[in-house]
Amino acid sequence: MIAFNRFKLENGLTVLHHFDSTTPMAVVNTLYNVGARDESEEKTGFAHLFEHLMFGGSVNIPDFDAPLQRAGGESNAFTSNDITNYYDVLPIQNIETALWLESDRMLSLAFTPKSLEVQRNVVIEEFKQRYLNQPYGDVWLELRPLAYKKHPYKWATIGKNIQHIEDATMDDVKAFFKAHYHPANAILCIAGNISLDETKRLVDKWYGDIPASLKPERILPKEPVQTEYRELTIERKVPHDAFYYSFKMPERKNFEYYVADIISDALGREKSSRLYSKLKKELKLVTSINAYITGSLDEGLLIIDGKLSDGVSFEELDKGLWPLLEDIKKELMTEAETSKLLNKIRTVKEFQEQGLLNRAMNLCLYELLGDANGVNEENILYQSITAEQIKTVANQLFTKENTSLLRVKSIKE
Amino acid sequence: MNRRAQQPETKQVEHISFVKPHIFDVTPDVKLLWMKEVPNDTVRLDLFFDAGITRGNKSIPAIVHSLLLSGTNKHSSVEIHERIDALGGFLDTDISFETAVVSIYCLREYIREISNIVADAIQNLAFRETEVEDVLRSMRQQFAVNQQKVKYVAQQQFRKHLFASNPNYSTISEESDYEDSNVMAYKKYWKEHYLEGLTRITLVGDLEVDEVDALIDLFGKWAVDGKVEHAGGFQFRAERIDFPKEDAVQSAIRMGRFLFPKSHEDYIDFQMLNTILGDYFGSRLMSNIREDKGYTYGIGSGVMDMNKTGYFVIVTEVGKEVLENTLKEIKFELDRLQNELVPEDELDLVKNYTLGQLLKSADGPYAMLDMYNGVDMYGLTLEFYDEAIRKIKSITPERIRELAKQYLKFEDFLIITAG
Repeated sequence: MIAFNRFKLENGLTVLHHFDSTTPMAVVNTLYNVGARDESEEKTGFAHLFEHLMFGGSVNIPDFDAPLQRAGGESNAFTSNDITNYYDVLPIQNIETALWLESDRMLSLAFTPKSLEVQRNVVIEEFKQRYLNQPYGDVWLELRPLAYKKHPYKWATIGKNIQHIEDATMDDVKAFFKAHYHPANAILCIAGNISLDETKRLVDKWYGDIPASLKPERILPKEPVQTEYRELTIERKVPHDAFYYSFKMPERKNFEYYVADIISDALGREKSSRLYSKLKKELKLVTSINAYITGSLDEGLLIIDGKLSDGVSFEELDKGLWPLLEDIKKELMTEAETSKLLNKIRTVKEFQEQGLLNRAMNLCLYELLGDANGVNEENILYQSITAEQIKTVANQLFTKENTSLLRVKSIKE
Repeated sequence: MNRRAQQPETKQVEHISFVKPHIFDVTPDVKLLWMKEVPNDTVRLDLFFDAGITRGNKSIPAIVHSLLLSGTNKHSSVEIHERIDALGGFLDTDISFETAVVSIYCLREYIREISNIVADAIQNLAFRETEVEDVLRSMRQQFAVNQQKVKYVAQQQFRKHLFASNPNYSTISEESDYEDSNVMAYKKYWKEHYLEGLTRITLVGDLEVDEVDALIDLFGKWAVDGKVEHAGGFQFRAERIDFPKEDAVQSAIRMGRFLFPKSHEDYIDFQMLNTILGDYFGSRLMSNIREDKGYTYGIGSGVMDMNKTGYFVIVTEVGKEVLENTLKEIKFELDRLQNELVPEDELDLVKNYTLGQLLKSADGPYAMLDMYNGVDMYGLTLEFYDEAIRKIKSITPERIRELAKQYLKFEDFLIITAG
């Protein structure tokens, strides 16, 4: 159970306070309700590039990191298709430094041309390091536009291509800040050995005078219901053939989201899972196989990916895989299997809740979903899942018309 | 005055409480370290074996490590995992230079049962033919994938050339290691390095003492007989070697040299020098090569601890076209630390930052146990950290420069590039 308090400033900033007297550290976590899904199709990769610029100095403070390090702390951030999340971890006695820094960059950035130029290069190197210079590194750049035709999930957070990042201008940057970086579009969580009163006093001191702005309206193109089987084969200089089956699944707010998550665990999370034991261990069609969900807030994907054994064709795998998907659609899962899956979830949850940073991030995410207390209800939701529900959702997921298959064909030099 | 231009007052970390775990003697040479005070139901059990990758050739240490839970005469690997999964347990295995670790993560009500399953699986490992084939097939494929990663190639070649004087340490994997199975050799290795190779046990979890005793009874039979010996006195040639990869868009760099073991008198002071150079976001390498030039997504440096020695390494991946410029800038930063005094302001920042990170590293039972283990494994005590705090607070710019002159000469480094 993660206890918390919630209050709101007049400018619209939502604040969560989580008290923990057992740790000498504090966490200041800021979630901005903006991700790659909010980009225009002509300027992709922007939310992520912007995250880099948030460390390039703010209106009153030329350098973000040095003052935080001087306070014994450190900071990082991540961008997803849905959100941008910034966090600072530092000794509790210096928490005010984090609030000073975070509030100033919510107020306004320095917008120096040098910062833009350098971070453009850094992000381009990141693009190369993670997507271009790794075997199979670019599969998500191919799989997303295959699975999504309208919704902005069709591009990756890094962007559609390097060109979009190269072309980013200062005007773009400023407009992006104005639209998305202000109190009403943020959720702040303060966690550690600090009272609610002291939290209120400090938050009011540093965030109280940040001007309010209107919460941007999010009107995203809706992804039409997929009605046809899709497949794409790409050729790459990689050592082995690889496959990526993706199936559209319900959005995060939907109960079926959790059911789909359990289904992916049943299929391919562990070394006792259905696909692993049958396709790898028994039939030896693959050398690796996994099933997981993308975890997105809007309609997401359940993915089954892996690599073929030498001499096995994509067709042979397909013939081996579908009967297993049919099984989960036809047969009710045994109680032994559901209880195994739910036990694992309980363990994961218990370990996750240990970390102060994890708690702060999750509180913010659930607040975005509607109520921070959702973090305490998640496990109950999972534990309530029945075999009938698993069967029903499996029937929705595993149809040919709901499938997008990417094949990576290995070619020699 | 603009209040936003002024940093709020900060206080340096004054005191850090280091908690010593309960220590049980499994044998005179093998300990169990136990951190009992855990505010929830989680448990982690780690079994350390004298079975690191330098303990054998032809990738045998890594292969046997991967085979540990591959089945007994009674149970297949899927069945073993099925039983552990049913209890909500997670297994994690890790192999490094000088150690192999098997870890169990679970809720405390299941630790006994899961431990029994793991103990049975390792004790009665059957090396079933199909399982051996499956593991070799997967490892061969992973090997092929790794060969395409410049980072991996640089790392392997760095190891090969840094440890050139000792074949056990310098021999890197080859594809042929995974082609034909050699069950006789695997069995011999398993007996010597696992069934007679347990070097320590660490445990975090709010358990009863008799449960801990039961774990000692269960795993204690694998304890090594006597003290484990490790190699030292490695020789290498300071040179640059390039491993070109035509279609790469980035080049990986690994460069470094040997230093000293953790017990050396310069160790803590050198860590401060290392932090300034490359071990935090505001480091000189990051500030110059990422934040000023934009050559890379990341660059860092670190000290790798070994039992008899330690080595220093700088790690990065940079745009192929800026490889030479990057090496030039690294040299520039190394020279600057030897020729100029670190400004007091920068040194103060690094002191505060390091103390804050140390505080974080001691936060909570899991972190604290790792911290204790991180000195105890090298024959040191918690006094190491108290001394570290004193040394961090008192180190001078002159001392930093002196250490840079002694240890950070560009021409003393082995430099490997791939890409």
